[in-house]
Amino acid sequence: MLRFLARRLLVTALVIACTSVLAFSLVHLSGDPAAAMAGEGATAADVEAVRRIYGFDRPLYVQYGDWLGKIASGEFGRSFYLRESVVNVLAEHAPVTARLGLMALGFALCLSIPLGILAGLYRNTMIDRLALALAVAGQALPSFLFALLLIYVFGVQLRWLPISGAATWLHFILPAITLGYYAAPALMRLTRSGMIEVMQSDHVRTARAYGLAAWRVVIRHALRSAIIPVVSLAAVQLGFMLGGSIVVETVFSLKGLGLLAWQSIQRSDIEVIQAILLLIALVYAVLTLLADMLNALLDPRIRII
Amino acid sequence: MTAAAPIAASAIALAPSPRQLAMRRLLRHGSFWIGGGALALIILVALLGPLVLGQDPTVQDLGNRLAAPVWAPKGSWLHPLGTDHLGRDLLARLIDGARVSLFIGFATVLVSGVIGTALGMAAGYFGGRVDLVINFLITIRLTLPVVLVALVVVAVVGSSLTILILVIGLLLWDRFAVVTRSATQRLAHSDFVVAARTIGSSTPRILLVEILPNIVGPLIVVATVEIAHAVLLEAALSFLGLGVKPPLASWGLMVAEAKNQLLFRPWLIAIPGAALVTLVLAINLLGDALRDVVAPEGRA
Repeated sequence: MLRFLARRLLVTALVIACTSVLAFSLVHLSGDPAAAMAGEGATAADVEAVRRIYGFDRPLYVQYGDWLGKIASGEFGRSFYLRESVVNVLAEHAPVTARLGLMALGFALCLSIPLGILAGLYRNTMIDRLALALAVAGQALPSFLFALLLIYVFGVQLRWLPISGAATWLHFILPAITLGYYAAPALMRLTRSGMIEVMQSDHVRTARAYGLAAWRVVIRHALRSAIIPVVSLAAVQLGFMLGGSIVVETVFSLKGLGLLAWQSIQRSDIEVIQAILLLIALVYAVLTLLADMLNALLDPRIRII
Repeated sequence: MTAAAPIAASAIALAPSPRQLAMRRLLRHGSFWIGGGALALIILVALLGPLVLGQDPTVQDLGNRLAAPVWAPKGSWLHPLGTDHLGRDLLARLIDGARVSLFIGFATVLVSGVIGTALGMAAGYFGGRVDLVINFLITIRLTLPVVLVALVVVAVVGSSLTILILVIGLLLWDRFAVVTRSATQRLAHSDFVVAARTIGSSTPRILLVEILPNIVGPLIVVATVEIAHAVLLEAALSFLGLGVKPPLASWGLMVAEAKNQLLFRPWLIAIPGAALVTLVLAINLLGDALRDVVAPEGRA
């Protein structure tokens, strides 16, 4: 187990290192961020000044090394648009996205686990087909459209929920539903197949033969072993959601990392973009690592890899 | 004995091949007809619509902005679906958007399919270090958030159809790689591949002539999923203002342009939205039918 852990840690560290190179080079793809930063009406001299101040005239690998050095000392540079240190900007926006992601995950689990259990128990019945149809339909609905639909129904027509901003937790409900809905199908299918498998296993059959109440068998005996892969997939899905929150946050004007990323892209605020890319990749890598560890604890065969 | 032999021979001749069996199963599949039919209809409209309609999707008529569709009290058949905020015919733009979505969907899958299949086959066939490196590449690809990276690249490099196709294609190859890798692994030690190696076939020949034709099934299934994925991603990028640029039409862009009309003219959002959902649903249904036929056991 320890060897497996060490290996996975090494791979994660390598992945993060490579992602940092990618995050850096993506932003420098155009070769000259200074022109974009100086703005439309800038003269050649202005662009030259920006280039010198930010050090864009140095070779790329020097700039990259410089950036890494700064990160190592906990300094992500300064946002040239917001005129504030990137760490502060991120610290201000990250909690919103974290809250959104966790609420979305909560919604996804509340939707997918009961549906998955029912679909697995009553296989090939109407419930199963309905759950599957919900998943297929959900994958066809783009998130921005689903968001607008929710805004129209619950915000405009029924006036039940606020549709913009992050003032109270009520503001998070519609965005969380939008985001969580897309994580639900995968979680549901995994719960369903887990339930199907475990209901045929010996220990569940024994429990049933003892005459335990049906719901007790399902909750205490079957669900317990079916749920662990779902938990580890949920961790991965949370990582995906942090990356996918950009559309949802933009539609609902939720001031999280996604909206910040979108705004920074439009302002060519490269220090912020780099930092967000790296942060999201880091969180995703760590969540995947946790998921892998959980799976390995559960199933020793995985550890051999 | 003599009487039995011809019967046995004819029974062998009449027994359907696996391919024929798969075809029959496909033709009996409801999702195949619904999904395939809807997709064929959309392709037909995208190809022939502009000829029949004869309206230019980019012509603005500022005097006739936000005209109502034909079923509304003030609608007219001149603009069956009404006009948008610049007085452009909505139906013409809808059809133009279908062309963009379909083109991007199919073109990106060519890019991502070639990349993913090449990597997946290499990983599955050679194994060892090659497998390790390619797995690492897949991990890195999964670590990068798709929408964000696509937005950054488009913002930095500039937006055009070619760039969109390249960017989306370069981002969506992972599933191709994962699926071809495991399919190739299963085939790499099969008898016919070993036989081909024994008679001295070159490695490229084994990969292209022996293995590739045998993994076409799963590849087509992944392709349908990824076409739908690419269509949705293009719509999302265009919705965020960094995808297809005006005056070209895109359903995502149409929804974004109509966002302020949500309260008073919801059909401006509902129409392109419904078109998008129909297209993606059609592709997904078709993919589901193909998956049931190709790999009935592997529903993921």
